[in-house]
Amino acid sequence: MISVRGLTKQYGAVTAVDDLTFDVAPGKVTGFLGPNGAGKSTTMRMILGLDRPTSGSALVGGRPFARLAEPLRAAGALLDAGAVHPGRSGRDHLRVAARTHGIPLRRVDEVIEQVGLGPAARRRVKGYSLGMRQRLGIATALIGDPGVVLFDEPMNGLDLDGVRWIRRLVRGLADEGRTVLLSSHLMSEMEQTADHLVIIGRGRLIADASFQEVMRGQGAGRKVRVRTPSTDQLAGALLRRGAVVHPAGDGELLAEGVSAEAVGDVALEEAVAVHRLAEEHSSLEQVYLDLTGDSVQYRVAGAPELVAQR
Amino acid sequence: MTAVAVREPGTATVLGRAAAAEWLRLRTVRTTWWCLLAATVTIVGIGVILAYDADDVTASGELPPATAAGEFGVVLGQFALLVLVLLAVTQEYASGAITPTLQWTPRRGVLLAARLAVPVLAATAVGVLLALAADIAAWFIADLAFSPGDVAGSLGRVAAVLLAGGALAIGVGLLLRSTAGALATVFLLQLVLPFLLPAFGVQWMADLGELLPGSGAIWTLLGEPEMTAGQATALLVGWAAVAVGLGGWSLLRRDAG
Repeated sequence: MISVRGLTKQYGAVTAVDDLTFDVAPGKVTGFLGPNGAGKSTTMRMILGLDRPTSGSALVGGRPFARLAEPLRAAGALLDAGAVHPGRSGRDHLRVAARTHGIPLRRVDEVIEQVGLGPAARRRVKGYSLGMRQRLGIATALIGDPGVVLFDEPMNGLDLDGVRWIRRLVRGLADEGRTVLLSSHLMSEMEQTADHLVIIGRGRLIADASFQEVMRGQGAGRKVRVRTPSTDQLAGALLRRGAVVHPAGDGELLAEGVSAEAVGDVALEEAVAVHRLAEEHSSLEQVYLDLTGDSVQYRVAGAPELVAQR
Repeated sequence: MTAVAVREPGTATVLGRAAAAEWLRLRTVRTTWWCLLAATVTIVGIGVILAYDADDVTASGELPPATAAGEFGVVLGQFALLVLVLLAVTQEYASGAITPTLQWTPRRGVLLAARLAVPVLAATAVGVLLALAADIAAWFIADLAFSPGDVAGSLGRVAAVLLAGGALAIGVGLLLRSTAGALATVFLLQLVLPFLLPAFGVQWMADLGELLPGSGAIWTLLGEPEMTAGQATALLVGWAAVAVGLGGWSLLRRDAG
């Protein structure tokens, strides 16, 4: 459980995080989303007591992280996979972590196995690929068997295998009842993994809702695509029931404001044949762009038009 | 995970673990071993050279005691040890490793205490052993006077210089966070300026030089320049305290890095 209350961080005149309040619940994967520079990393650093909030507070399991005697047993985090002494071996890095908590050496080898670092763990970190560094960072986060995990952009720079591995891992951690906060600037990743979304832009909270609610909230635009030989008759019947209907060409209609079930029922009443019936969700990516459209900090000139056209 | 009331270990346990981790950090990077090699070569090497050249050490031609070997050795060789101590702090800022370090030991006062104790004590212990080795080498080579009482006193002075210098290095490292900046600062304060400023022959420069920590260290080891034991102690303790105060403020109050 993570509770963030009125969290604010200012660097001089710049407000990186602006009065954020949200909770991250156990047993779910919570996606922490926002464009680059939105304040995701700064928020995570404040949750972990690394950076000092200008005002507000963040609690991990009901306590400030920086006061914990055994913080790795409460929360493990992967913030920046590169932030490891390059001259130390991965295993020695983990041994140092273990020693700060009196964790036995056995557990070090356990997490090395768990993340699949294998024999590379005995090599110096200097020679690691980004994927290996990410695995080492995740091993470090898990070593204390924490109830809370925070991963900051864990899939950055990973190949498909690595991405799939992290998805499974994160899912598994949540299913074990842990609190999982996973940041990303890529919606498509979240579509695969997150149950709940916290979306921020320019340091402000934009949305804090379940994946479905976010989709639905934006998704007045739920559409139903139906193919029928009798397009005119079905379109007329749907219009009478208050739906917005667009011809989609090729004998198809696109109906807004009705469910697929309703369209099927109408077709039955009208006794028209239906050859295809499908709900079309607007993609999470589209929802995200709509939500954060005004809050992108580094926008390329002309980009909003591109977004609007999509 | 359901919340379970877990008995947290006390501060003494947390500090002990942090110190053990600090010790492991020191042992698991190569720079530590390179610094130790450099310290060994410098301290013992200078001691041996001094022993072979014992007739020319004092102006009067009188033979110095064997302890001069370790003391001369440490005047220069302390830098290899101070670099070891300094890198224990600044390497973490350079690599970003301070971020995981503070996730594992988020109580920063605990980290400060462990970081102050372990590298500084390790460097001091090594320096004292190397000075003793240099003394013994000089005793064998040139048959210089070697009395246990003198040696104990001399090693005590070596320890005082290395403790103060190590604390200075930790403090400067925590404050500046950059290896280059901290190294230059410690080098200037501890060696270059104390020797260089009096060499200009300008009185105020010489006076300024005598206010630097390095002058206290050099006096403690070699008995130069002219000052009292009280002044030398004040320089060693005062500079170390100011550096640790500023560095500690930086670690405790600023963002992680």
